[in-house]
Amino acid sequence: MPSGGIPILRIGHTLLATIQLDLHDTVVDAFQSDVLEEMERTGADGLIIDISALESVDSYVARMLSNTGKMAKLMGAETVIVGMRPAVAATLVRMGYFMTGIRTALSLEEGLEIQASRSKDGRRSEIP
Amino acid sequence: MELGIQPDYMKILKLDDEECRRRLEFFELTPDDFQRLTSLRAFAERWTQEITEGLYELLMKHPESRSFFPDEATLARVKRLQNAYFLHLFSGTYDLAYVRDRLRVGSAHERIGMPPKLYLGAYRRYLALIHEKLRNHFKGNETEAVKAIETIRKIIFFDMAIAIDTYIAAYLETMTRHQAAIRELSTPVIKVYDRILLLPIVGTVDTQRANQIMETVLVQVVEQQAKVIIIDIAGVPVVDTKVADHILQTTAAVQLLGAQTVLTGISAAVARTVVQLGVELTRVETRAKLSEGIEVALSIIGKKISSRKNADAESED
Amino acid sequence: MSFSANSGVVAESWEIRIEKEADIIAVRQLVRELTREHKFDQFVAAALTTAASELSRNVWVHAKSGVARIGVLRGERIGLELSFVDKGPGIADLQKALAGGYSTANSLGLGLSGTKRLVDEFHIETETGLGTTIVIRKWKKDF
Repeated sequence: MPSGGIPILRIGHTLLATIQLDLHDTVVDAFQSDVLEEMERTGADGLIIDISALESVDSYVARMLSNTGKMAKLMGAETVIVGMRPAVAATLVRMGYFMTGIRTALSLEEGLEIQASRSKDGRRSEIP
Repeated sequence: MELGIQPDYMKILKLDDEECRRRLEFFELTPDDFQRLTSLRAFAERWTQEITEGLYELLMKHPESRSFFPDEATLARVKRLQNAYFLHLFSGTYDLAYVRDRLRVGSAHERIGMPPKLYLGAYRRYLALIHEKLRNHFKGNETEAVKAIETIRKIIFFDMAIAIDTYIAAYLETMTRHQAAIRELSTPVIKVYDRILLLPIVGTVDTQRANQIMETVLVQVVEQQAKVIIIDIAGVPVVDTKVADHILQTTAAVQLLGAQTVLTGISAAVARTVVQLGVELTRVETRAKLSEGIEVALSIIGKKISSRKNADAESED
Repeated sequence: MSFSANSGVVAESWEIRIEKEADIIAVRQLVRELTREHKFDQFVAAALTTAASELSRNVWVHAKSGVARIGVLRGERIGLELSFVDKGPGIADLQKALAGGYSTANSLGLGLSGTKRLVDEFHIETETGLGTTIVIRKWKKDF
């Protein structure tokens, strides 16, 4: 389901969003509302945001990612950010920007592993 | 001597029109001098061979300089080039093209390994020979002789400056290449196990090196998809606030990627300094010994080292 | 490892007016393009692109309108010079803004101290009620 260009897929109980373009206000707003709506609709309790296509992440994008994580958390979902590039990590720490409250993993596989291994305390229903 | 691409000395020395003009000005070469040099062209053509012979008499007399002219053919060739060089002094145009030509000559001497002392010593002899010939040429006219000698001295010194510059530029080139090699060797990231990397840091860590270490670490962690990187600092002589901050920055960046750092090689002195300085290393796994760090790293990926006796007893495949 | 400090002349330059959010992206994309064209390494490229993004956004958020000038520095090494000029409200307490610490997690932070750490040169002139001019420079690594 497209949201201003950011594709959101579902893998089991996890939603996967792959960010590939330059983000600006309307795209971010649409993305956040679409993710949360999809979460509500499917009962997904995990979100993976793939940023491997981003060569740079400024404070605006970093804030957006943090906020999206917080929104998802309110709905009971854990967010994992995957695919951060070396230069992005370096730039963020050099700026002094630490993305608080957000979990990261090196790869999509690892992100899925993390989501799968979280205790699911009975929220799980039969989703193909 | 490999036929590689010669470094662009004009660029390395920043020799552009502006720099050329500045040098001519500093050496006080005026249009008067240029005119005088042009008018002495005939003089140059008359005496160049004798002057060249005089120069090489010195060079062949001393074993050190003689070694650069091993055979007759080489000697003949360089004497020809020397004549051309001398005549070019009286060309009348002293622009970027002139400078480039002098650079070429200088770098040729540098390439064959002639040390500056011989090069400059030769120039000294050259000037003396020219001096003598000029005195004779202007016999009776002391004023003109003095002016001519002064002009020649200016242009010869101008040339010598370029000659020295080529040596400096060549050394800079070499040092830059060495530095690059040293830098590469100084951050050896080793894969000790699947998804576990090890970086032993040896030697002082300044800001530039620290930045380079962080970048190498991050690239390797992503490339190798490492879950843990062990950074051993036993070989770092001084760990002060700055170094500690650099290390912290690297561990923070590694964590941002989604991997973990284990810091090892923490000596008693370092442990004291770090706490006294108020540096917070609490969010990083640290150990005194590298071996312990390896065990921690293995446990992070769900493995452990067990003794062989038990392994045999359990009869693994 | 050279005898003179970094310097250079702005050889080619571009100007982008910042009047809407899309302009921030335009600035960022131009900077990214230039870092690619001149083969900057990923770390220097990311620093420049991020700084450009931060400073453009500042102009748009605080001054609503301004201009970004992007130039290629050609000297001993290649670098980029970015300048951001606006006639906005200016920065009241510059020292405080520069001392920063971290760029704030809240939307209205200026992030100047963070951006400053990303570049080789950072110059700022500001006057309340008159506007702000920021010029940054960063060079390609020479090894």
